[in-house]
Amino acid sequence: MRAFVAIVGVTARALAGRRRTLLIALLAWLPVLLAILVRIGGGRPDAPEILDALVIRTVCPLVALVVGTGAIGSEIEDGTLVFQLIKPLPRWLVALAKGLVAAFVTSVLIVPPMVVTGLLLGGLGPDAIQTTGGFALAGLVGGSAYAIGFTALGVITGRALIVGLGYTLIWEGVLAGILEGTRFLSVRQATLGVAAALTGEDVGEEPLAAVLSIGILVVVTVGGLALTTLSLRRFQLRTAD
Amino acid sequence: MSTVVPALQLDHVSRWYGNVVAVNDVSFALGAGVTGLLGPNGAGKSTLLHLLAGLLAPSAGTVHIGGRVAFGDPMVYSMVGLVPEREAVPGYLTGREFVRFNADLQGVADASAVTDGVIATVELTDAADRSIRTYSKGMRQRIKLAAALVHEPSILLLDEPFNGLDPRQRLHMMELLRRMAAQGRAILFSSHILEEVERLAEAILVMFAGRLAASGDFRSIRRLMTDRPHRFTIRSSDDRALGAALLSDPAVFGVDLLDGRLAVQASDLGAFARIVAPVARAAGIRLHELTPTDDTLESVFSYLVRR
Repeated sequence: MRAFVAIVGVTARALAGRRRTLLIALLAWLPVLLAILVRIGGGRPDAPEILDALVIRTVCPLVALVVGTGAIGSEIEDGTLVFQLIKPLPRWLVALAKGLVAAFVTSVLIVPPMVVTGLLLGGLGPDAIQTTGGFALAGLVGGSAYAIGFTALGVITGRALIVGLGYTLIWEGVLAGILEGTRFLSVRQATLGVAAALTGEDVGEEPLAAVLSIGILVVVTVGGLALTTLSLRRFQLRTAD
Repeated sequence: MSTVVPALQLDHVSRWYGNVVAVNDVSFALGAGVTGLLGPNGAGKSTLLHLLAGLLAPSAGTVHIGGRVAFGDPMVYSMVGLVPEREAVPGYLTGREFVRFNADLQGVADASAVTDGVIATVELTDAADRSIRTYSKGMRQRIKLAAALVHEPSILLLDEPFNGLDPRQRLHMMELLRRMAAQGRAILFSSHILEEVERLAEAILVMFAGRLAASGDFRSIRRLMTDRPHRFTIRSSDDRALGAALLSDPAVFGVDLLDGRLAVQASDLGAFARIVAPVARAAGIRLHELTPTDDTLESVFSYLVRR
């Protein structure tokens, strides 16, 4: 337990200290800025539209990508991970600690601005609060699944950011929308499915069923942790000579 | 009958990356004491240490630590302390936090006292609460050593541990490693500097181009290195006459005139150094230049591989 807490603490500090994390935190608050501008301008578009289009589809995967790949990938890059691997610790413990930190930091970065954006645009009525709360909860579970999946990607490849961007922008952004039958391979579609089930809002296209959405997110989360564990077991150092 | 399990054992270990062979069919076993892993840069020393530390899987052969397969078994790290050269220490931690982190991961009892103890051992107490990003290279090496010592490992692997240390720190680390070896630990350190190995190691492994060029007692290998054929080029007022005069001495077994210079092969470095000037003087020849042509470590290692 002491080792687990130590890895959680050091990973969280490493993530918090990276410039990349600070920049992505600013991006996460962009929807709030947009909401303020909308309110100042007197307009009042639907909160669900902004939360769906901007936060779930764009901010959530980008934040999770930067945080998830940073949780292990950056430590592999700079070599600091070695000091955690040359210890008599089961690899699942390291994977779990890193995955949980990535999920937690992602949630901390995306949920508060989601709530503020929802309240600014939707107000404090019961329906608006249900919508904001539903999207926030969907962002929490979807963002966590994304983060854990991207953590695994950070161990598997040194080009996790590029691969993750490709998945988010090309697969989820274009192909999963066109190829109906592949939507179950999209974390975004699963997150939107959860949001639709919680809020009853229209999320663009026909959402995935709630049970299927939750199933997808569970598979991504558990699969991500398992993949991280396996990759750490097979991890080999890059040597210069 | 009981058999003693070597602390570290490699059997016909090779490691390649695509077409590049970094370590080529290396076998040895090590027990307690200090062993130096000597070789020029790029010889495969770091790859070998990473194989021994279980951070690389061998492409062929087996690596055992304390009788257990090194790769893929995290439990071997309760026996091993590793001081890597290139891997960065987290700059956002203080020295004390970094060592304590390592103690927590090792599950050390009374981690706080142990942390203070090993930091004092490497003489970093005054700087322990400073951020590691403010440390010099030598201080980083020492804090890595402190982190590797928290669980009192029976095997210590160090990759170029003296890099960045000033002469006083170097002496201190040598003394520390000697003391730990005297307590029964197996210590293997890599270096590309012969003098470092000479001063500390009882046994030696010489790596060159991925192969184990020599291994065993340091003194006998040092003698091999010294007694090898030595090559020189000489410029003098009369190269032809000097060549003839030198060839009459038993220390010289070959001369050649090449590109306006005299190339000499000597069997005994010390004897040749003593006779060259008197022989030239006796023959009335003025020496302009005497250059050893194979005095680099690479040429020494290359010679050992050929033997």
